[in-house]
Amino acid sequence: MTTESATTQGSSEAKFGETLLSVKGLRMYFPVTSGLFVQRKVADVRAVDGISFDVKKGETLGLVGESGCGKSTTGRAILQLHRPTEGTVNFDGTELTELKGAGLRRFRRRMQMIFQDPFSSLNPRMSVAQIISEPLAIHGLYKGAERRERLDYILNAVGLNPTYARRYPHEFSGGQRQRIGIGRALAVEPDFIVCDEPVSALDVSIQAQVINLLEDLQEQFDLTYLFIAHDLSVVKHISDRIAVMYLGHIVELAEAEELYLNPVHAYTRALLSAIPIPDPIVEQTRDRIILEGDVPSPLNPPKGCVFRTRCTKKDQCKCSDTVPVLEEIEPGHWVANCQCCMTK
Amino acid sequence: MNMRDSEIDSRSPIDVNKKSMSLTAAVWARFRRKRLGVLSLIVVVSLFVIGILAPVLSPYDYRETDLTSALLSPGSDGHLLGTDRLGRDLLTRTIYSIRTTVIITAVTMLTGGLLLGPVLGLLAGFFGRWTDVLISRIGEIFSSLPALLMMILINATLDERLRGQIRRFEDWSGIDGLISTGAYSYFLVFGTLSLFFWVGSMRIVRAQVLSIRELDYITAAEALGATPVRILSRHIFPNVAFLIILGVSSALAGIAGSELVLTWVGVGVQPPMPSFGSLLFEGSGARTVRAYPHLLLVPGTIVTLLLFCFVLLGDAINDAYRGD
Repeated sequence: MTTESATTQGSSEAKFGETLLSVKGLRMYFPVTSGLFVQRKVADVRAVDGISFDVKKGETLGLVGESGCGKSTTGRAILQLHRPTEGTVNFDGTELTELKGAGLRRFRRRMQMIFQDPFSSLNPRMSVAQIISEPLAIHGLYKGAERRERLDYILNAVGLNPTYARRYPHEFSGGQRQRIGIGRALAVEPDFIVCDEPVSALDVSIQAQVINLLEDLQEQFDLTYLFIAHDLSVVKHISDRIAVMYLGHIVELAEAEELYLNPVHAYTRALLSAIPIPDPIVEQTRDRIILEGDVPSPLNPPKGCVFRTRCTKKDQCKCSDTVPVLEEIEPGHWVANCQCCMTK
Repeated sequence: MNMRDSEIDSRSPIDVNKKSMSLTAAVWARFRRKRLGVLSLIVVVSLFVIGILAPVLSPYDYRETDLTSALLSPGSDGHLLGTDRLGRDLLTRTIYSIRTTVIITAVTMLTGGLLLGPVLGLLAGFFGRWTDVLISRIGEIFSSLPALLMMILINATLDERLRGQIRRFEDWSGIDGLISTGAYSYFLVFGTLSLFFWVGSMRIVRAQVLSIRELDYITAAEALGATPVRILSRHIFPNVAFLIILGVSSALAGIAGSELVLTWVGVGVQPPMPSFGSLLFEGSGARTVRAYPHLLLVPGTIVTLLLFCFVLLGDAINDAYRGD
């Protein structure tokens, strides 16, 4: 079974419609160059190294993993903000990697992004009204008075008072700024939004508000999300399915409930065991799986199974020779088929 | 702003009565509190106004010689600040020198500081790769050369050629007086000053563009489908515009000073067009200073005041921008 075949997941088809986004064999390598006059490529940072998944219309796919595992790069490569080194990104029947220039810019109306840092994601010299109506101007939507109406509508939809339209980003709090960023993404009526750790920079009390807002908006506007995060409890709440990434690879992909109840890959189990439990007594006694060592450098990833260097049972199989591929162990539950990493 | 308090209800008002303040307004508010800054702004502005109105304000023509009333002391009848060796009114000469400084600084600021430098800096920072390599290396070449010496050499060697070209232009177009008034030499001075003063503002702008380019709002604009032109003009330029003003305001004194030196050594603004450089040159020399100190003191005082105020103004704008 190949990685590519992991794109036909079974059980979520009942709840969600047809496939909106299909990513196959996506690789994103960043060249490392050196040289005084002529820049020669000396190595590659393998940020994303051959991942495949589907996202259905109306669903939320969570993408988790520790920092540096390629989650954000995946999001940006899908939106063609980084041009993928290899692989295909099919969005509603259109191959995005083949689009260029004006064609790609027109297509951007259908897919948007929400950023992690609410401070650097808004231009400090533009007012809220300018920020939210810029996408309308770019795509020539809602001219004149209609644009003003649309602006008020968007501000209301993201829970901001329309009287704030003439204010500048620095006058708002982190959560409010994040709402402005969400409004900007919504303005062009997209089908698909990459949420790149949209709540990681926010205070816990505000995280819930923004998550709820994202859920409400999904229902209201029929949105499909790719939700990137490193906080598993946040992802569990919002996602229908979750993909776990490690060093540029997807190691496990399953429905949210299934993944939490029945994690199979050693990395997923370690990751889940790190979730703190808000009860001091249980917290003290819970089992934590502490992985040894650090994440290897994506400049020089381990051959074979990328998790090999930190796997406790690595001597029990030959994963240094064979590259694991995703295998469907139960309907809709895919795991990288490395024998020593899988626990049944 | 604290996230915790104001977030419970995101519709909670952020003081609707408080006036929203743009960056320019905030900088101006801080600048206004600096007494020295405001004072130097007033001096610079009034000297600029005097320079622009030179033909209206001066009591005489700057070329008008009267050997019968040469070397008069200040306070003489009809000549408030006295006269020079050829009997030209010193007040008139000084006012026209201010005009020369105003024209030179304004044009060099516009060409080198505001056009050439920032545009090249924006291009180098935004497009990177070979555009950046090319522009940065050229900048390094210019900044590694001793600017003043090069300016003197360039002006000294090109002066004759330019004069010839301008003479041909005068014959052809019928415009008169560019050579006889010395006005043609302005072009050479603008040219060489701009040639060496664009590097500073290019570097400031390039560095800032490099850091802004990595920010999420640029990625967001790209994700929205904005064209490179739009990203440059709407997102990057407004965020470097203030730095350009800072760079230019602190370079003003250097530009004015360089023109003075060029003219002092005889390759800047050509006579009979007055400039502080030539006025100071004519007034200096041990015997002249002892016998006719006003020839040095009058233009010397004014030009020192002007340069000093340029420096103070630049400092005050910088401080106000940084929030002190």
